[in-house]
Amino acid sequence: MTLENYRADAMRCTRCAYCKWIPFDLIKSARFSKGCPSIEAGKFHAYSAGGRLVTALSLMDGRSTVTEKVKESVFKCNLCGQCDVSCKICRYDMEPLDAMRELRATLVEGNHTLPQLAPVIESLREEFNMVEQPAEKRGDWAKEFEVKDLTKEKAEFVFHAGCRYSFDGDLAHVARTCVKILQKVAVDFGILGMNEMCCGGRAYDMGYRTDFQTRANANLKAWKRAGVKTVITPCAECFHTFSRKYTAKAGSQIKVIHMVQFVDELIKAGKLKLAKPVKLKVTYHDPCHLGRQGEPYVPWDGKEKKIFGQAVCYDPPKPKYNGAFGVYQPPRDVLKAIPGLQVVEMERIKEAAWCCGAGGGAREAYPEFSRCTANERLEEAQSTGADAIASACPWCERNFTDATHAGGAKLKVFDIIELVGQAMGEEGQ
Amino acid sequence: MTQEIPRDAYRAIEDIVGPDNISADPAFLDSYAFQWLAELVRPNRSHYMPRPWAVVLPGSTEEVAAVTRVCNKYRIKVKPISTGWYHWAAPMKDDAPTVQLDLRRMDKIIEIDEKNMFAIVEPYVICAQLQAEAMKRGLNINIIGAGCSTSIVASACAYFGGGPSSYYLGHNSDNLLGQEWVTPAGEIIRTGSLSSGCGWFCSEGPGPSPRGITRGVLGSRGGLGTYTKCAVKLGPWQGPPVLEPKGTLPGYRLPIPDNFRVYTIGAPDWDSWANCYYEIYDNGVGYIFHRQFNLAGADLAAALWLNYIDPAKTLNDVETSVKDPEIQKITEEARISFQFIMQGNSIEDIQLQDKILNEILRRTGCYKVKRFCEPDMAEFTNMYMQRLGHKHCNFIWAGGYMGSWMQPGTPDFVKKYVPLAIEGFYRDQQSHKLVECGGDAMMGCGSTLAGGGYFGLEQFVSYDPNDNDSIDACVKHMEDAIADTAAHGIPPGKELLYLQIGWTDERIWDALAMMPQQFVLNFQRKIKEAFDPNSLGDRNYPWLPEGWGQAASASTGAPKPQPGTECKPATK
Repeated sequence: MTLENYRADAMRCTRCAYCKWIPFDLIKSARFSKGCPSIEAGKFHAYSAGGRLVTALSLMDGRSTVTEKVKESVFKCNLCGQCDVSCKICRYDMEPLDAMRELRATLVEGNHTLPQLAPVIESLREEFNMVEQPAEKRGDWAKEFEVKDLTKEKAEFVFHAGCRYSFDGDLAHVARTCVKILQKVAVDFGILGMNEMCCGGRAYDMGYRTDFQTRANANLKAWKRAGVKTVITPCAECFHTFSRKYTAKAGSQIKVIHMVQFVDELIKAGKLKLAKPVKLKVTYHDPCHLGRQGEPYVPWDGKEKKIFGQAVCYDPPKPKYNGAFGVYQPPRDVLKAIPGLQVVEMERIKEAAWCCGAGGGAREAYPEFSRCTANERLEEAQSTGADAIASACPWCERNFTDATHAGGAKLKVFDIIELVGQAMGEEGQ
Repeated sequence: MTQEIPRDAYRAIEDIVGPDNISADPAFLDSYAFQWLAELVRPNRSHYMPRPWAVVLPGSTEEVAAVTRVCNKYRIKVKPISTGWYHWAAPMKDDAPTVQLDLRRMDKIIEIDEKNMFAIVEPYVICAQLQAEAMKRGLNINIIGAGCSTSIVASACAYFGGGPSSYYLGHNSDNLLGQEWVTPAGEIIRTGSLSSGCGWFCSEGPGPSPRGITRGVLGSRGGLGTYTKCAVKLGPWQGPPVLEPKGTLPGYRLPIPDNFRVYTIGAPDWDSWANCYYEIYDNGVGYIFHRQFNLAGADLAAALWLNYIDPAKTLNDVETSVKDPEIQKITEEARISFQFIMQGNSIEDIQLQDKILNEILRRTGCYKVKRFCEPDMAEFTNMYMQRLGHKHCNFIWAGGYMGSWMQPGTPDFVKKYVPLAIEGFYRDQQSHKLVECGGDAMMGCGSTLAGGGYFGLEQFVSYDPNDNDSIDACVKHMEDAIADTAAHGIPPGKELLYLQIGWTDERIWDALAMMPQQFVLNFQRKIKEAFDPNSLGDRNYPWLPEGWGQAASASTGAPKPQPGTECKPATK
């Protein structure tokens, strides 16, 4: 694909501004009606999905050039996909999220890169992670476990911890709890430990397509060598990357399960008992990559066709990715299965969830914007009366935790797996 | 192509709003120049209106006024935009320096006065936001036909403001209780009771009404200064304090409370349809009254909406569905239909309204369209019409739509032009360059006046803005519609309003000079002279140069100006 492939999307954008709001039907208050962190920060129309489509068109037609402000308007965005959901409430012929990704890739190919992203890309290339840590420390979180080393052995499942859980000392216990659960239910699984590598998804969203492809090829090769049929990950970004991007861009046939889905199935099958009460009032934050971007991949290779004279559709029918079938219920069911836990909902949930602020390279490139985005979510969480916010993605948890430390709403931040661990009697740390 | 705002002017504005709130980056400017409908009126089917020379984000009325005064000093036009829809939201001329005021930072609901049933809002408060807050207080707003994404200030102060609930709640320009207006000269004027420091409860007086000066029927559409606050009347809401939709997108469904009824009413012919409208007005039943779903065209509407509410379906499924005999039956049943929602103050009230409606249907031969009244479609209808959050479905077929006709009047007037509009649209679809949805894609309010009696139907012409042949076909349809109306002695409809955006000043004045009641346009010239001495506004506020046009010339004896005269009123 090239940016030119999205010219029709730009030409058919009607500047309706739906991309700036959550789906209107779901608005319950003025306070929590807005959907796009980028336009709230950048304010000019260019910081919205519709605005970026025009920027793409303007650049393609030579009406404008890539300035520093243009770069900021393109990259100061979490790629959370809320715009995509709201746009597609009424449209079948628009792919604003994909178009925004393509615009980034075009800028990167043209060497219009952000210096702020250079260290993480360098880290990816040299250390195979996005958190600027030495590769040899990647498996340290799992040193206490007797787990199959899939560089030497074979297993049906690979547990992929992801960069954040592997290196982030505050969060690594979540990965350990995952391993304990997998061991408890006797799954034939292993890990790649020090040889695990970044999924590449964040690099893809930052516009670095080649780096993504390199990581995808390497991971798929490693899994193939280990005889892996299914990858289990507790990271929503990895989940999305493996299930959607690897299938679409690297021909992956590997089954992908998020750890929360796995736990949900275990609980419902009676294989995992949660007996210890966790006395907490908690609200659940849908990670973008598990929720609205967590829909299963459907292969498609088709083209546009016109019906009824000029109505736009596709031959064969194009799969819809509009957030309708994201992974919304399993995390909620897991939380409800924890004794003593009271779950309250925020106003913007599921496909309408406000982003944590960590995605799309925003955390790395625009930390203040990223923190403001997190603060907005924490304020919403606090308005429910909850003591804590739980999520199913380490990037959300890191960003929320940092925001609370920087003076944001005082809420405890949990991974669902951590709460599951507590209900299992694991202290987790 | 790039025209630069004078550096001193830029700095002066930057000093007012701060460096983060002004931009002259060409790509940023293009995002404001790019507007829906531009391709119908611009050279080479360009999607861009004239590019502003700078975009400014003021944060307060005082900043708007200060920026406007700077623009007066440097003779730069000022064009405000709020949520932004329509090509007339952009600058009008390529060679006229224009600053676009994006009002998105002014986004506060200042007050909801529950007891006196009104709200005061800034320009970037959208209908959905105010509705959500009003409903918590047992109140509601009229959401305009363009949907809940629109600015309340824009529809109330600067445009017409009719919508599906106008039948019960009135239209927003009538619900306007006061406004704060920054004139093109940079003066801040408050209208209605507010001007006397008495609050916002009344739109008129004391003395002559500035409200009438600034807006007229269609409003100035950004052509005469900037509205920075307004108060609008709210109406009663007997539903839940928070809308809690269920189901999966895109077809969210809103449960129907016991004191509500949601119907799609069908008519066997246009006479019965008109009679039904009159009977509804006479009996005072109903809350929301709109011909909505027909935007998709009578041949395709049933197939589209029954697929739309299934989250797994796409437009490809519509292609299959239209061949389904069951769908075809529903299509015929719903061919002349409208959506109708009743709200009861009590269970007894809604039961009474139901009885009255049934009697109206019996007497007029109209009926409830069965499939559309089943729970899934009724709940979807309830959601769609109460919040109007799916109005972008106007573009669902191909990404482009243009509304022709829409002449307002009584049901008997509308029913006379409906066959002409259908025949003309059907004819123009034979080019295969427009979406072939049948000749009848007429939609619109049941009444734009509270209590009923006055409305129009708009022909929804869907075209592909990514296809120049399709754009050309749409323009041809617009020209054909103007000819069709003229041939039958009917005034032109919205298509003329849209096309005129691409005309020269002289051509517009020639057209205006053919219109009745030219004293209005001459009077508006005097208003422009008084409030816009440096001509910072634009043609969206219509007026006639002195002596232009036969009637004016006859009465004043003034010679007609030569073509090429600058679009600027005479100085005082």
